[in-house]
Amino acid sequence: MTSGGATPGPMPRARRVQPAILYGVATLGILLIAWALATSAFALVAPRLLPSPAVVIERAATLITTPFSGATLAGHVVASLQRWLIGVTFAVVLGIPLGVLLAWLPPLRAAVTPAFELLRFIPPFAWVPIAVLWFGASTTTQALVVFIAAFPACVINAQLGVGQVDPILQRAAQVLGAGPLVTLARVVMPVAAPSAFTGVRIAVSNGWMALVGAELIVGKQGLGFLISQGQNNDSVSTIFVGIVAIGLLGALIDLALQKAQARILPWTPAAAGAR
Amino acid sequence: MTSWWRRELTARARAAIAASSIAAMIGVWWLASGPLAWAPPLFLPPPQEVAATFLRMCVEPYIGSTLWVHVVASLRVVMTGWLLAGLVGLPLGIAMAWWRRLRWIVFPVFQLVRPVPPLAWIPLAIVWLGIGDTARVSVVFIAALVPWLMNSMQAVYSVDALLVAAARSLGAGERQILTRVVCRTALPTLVAGARIALGNAWTTLIAAELLAASAGLGYIALNAARTLETAVLLVAMAIIGLLGALFSVGMRRMTRVLAPWSVRATDD
Repeated sequence: MTSGGATPGPMPRARRVQPAILYGVATLGILLIAWALATSAFALVAPRLLPSPAVVIERAATLITTPFSGATLAGHVVASLQRWLIGVTFAVVLGIPLGVLLAWLPPLRAAVTPAFELLRFIPPFAWVPIAVLWFGASTTTQALVVFIAAFPACVINAQLGVGQVDPILQRAAQVLGAGPLVTLARVVMPVAAPSAFTGVRIAVSNGWMALVGAELIVGKQGLGFLISQGQNNDSVSTIFVGIVAIGLLGALIDLALQKAQARILPWTPAAAGAR
Repeated sequence: MTSWWRRELTARARAAIAASSIAAMIGVWWLASGPLAWAPPLFLPPPQEVAATFLRMCVEPYIGSTLWVHVVASLRVVMTGWLLAGLVGLPLGIAMAWWRRLRWIVFPVFQLVRPVPPLAWIPLAIVWLGIGDTARVSVVFIAALVPWLMNSMQAVYSVDALLVAAARSLGAGERQILTRVVCRTALPTLVAGARIALGNAWTTLIAAELLAASAGLGYIALNAARTLETAVLLVAMAIIGLLGALFSVGMRRMTRVLAPWSVRATDD
């Protein structure tokens, strides 16, 4: 790779465009042009199956301004985000303390782990039918599915983080006169925090994914519901707009958390930032 | 001194606590649904009824076929999608890590598609491919492709550059380096990718079957919920969880068989 660097020489030239970006832009551009040509110019594909880019953009504009299936695009986004936030908040608030306790108290770990491991392998969507039976097609059902999807990642990563704490640090704190609570708060938590935060990031994206699934299966509003309505009305352009919105929001949420992690926990090791 | 609640337990004590906690859970379930009648049987049938339903479903057909035929139907779709994703994702991931031009071309497309949950493709798959097996296989394929590909790339990146240089200076060609050095050292990460891919594939298939299917465990669950047969629903959920756990344990075993040097003594 030819990197800039402080080489002694003549005037620093304008930076060359990275070939990686060049290739990426070219690939995406070619795909976009191929899509446009196949749909509008040559009409190779039936518009019912693959609408042209212009139609999709037009559809997005319509969805933003006029309600479809009960709400505008913003309305569906708000409905989804609300359920997601309720589920994720419960998962974080209950999951992280539970994870810390499980790592801190071996008897509790021995009692809870088997049940936890048994239930963990049931995918969140498999809970949808029974959640509907219990709570009806309500916000509670959707939030419960998000919770089930997000909870294990919080517990496991918090537990893992506490497990990584060097016992010598704990003993040093003890020798210096710190009680168990002070050790937990001042020694264990700062070391465990990056791992716990990574757990939150995984939880958040798992929750988002589960919510889309739950909304596809039951629901009266939300982005998952929007794309299932697109399917029922044979409107591929609506499905496209929904998919883009889901992907974009998911990516934005993760990006925001990544930035927050760098800000709140600057001591996070580089490896813990990745999955 | 460390108080009792902070002390590590012996293996025997751990097993005893685990067994009694599971027994307590089933006991509470039995009490709540039976003698105490906290939950109506429609919401939570007693454990013995779920067990009886399971036995009945093994021999008598439920919505078309016995439990085992439904299990096989689900397994067939999940395995097809997972294997196809491996056939594409594994070589593509390795190639993308090895040849940067290929990576520059494919990775942006991949990055664009990756944040979309695989489930969000289900409606599109149904419109394009109908409600047959093809739609479900393709959704499972998308769900499994991401971990296959990402882990393959990661695996090649994590190969020690010194090993590659050593092989090269000993006269190995590009092809020999790829097959004999890179793929060999990267094996544990590749198997880990396969395991994550299988888990994703299973989860996604269940969602797909809840939306459109004519057989399979998700289809049983949906149908049981509609006809309010809660015991059947619980049997389906239990089998789904059990198979998911088996996949995970099986793939871990696989790591031990394929790449025994990567497994630490403490891992299980």
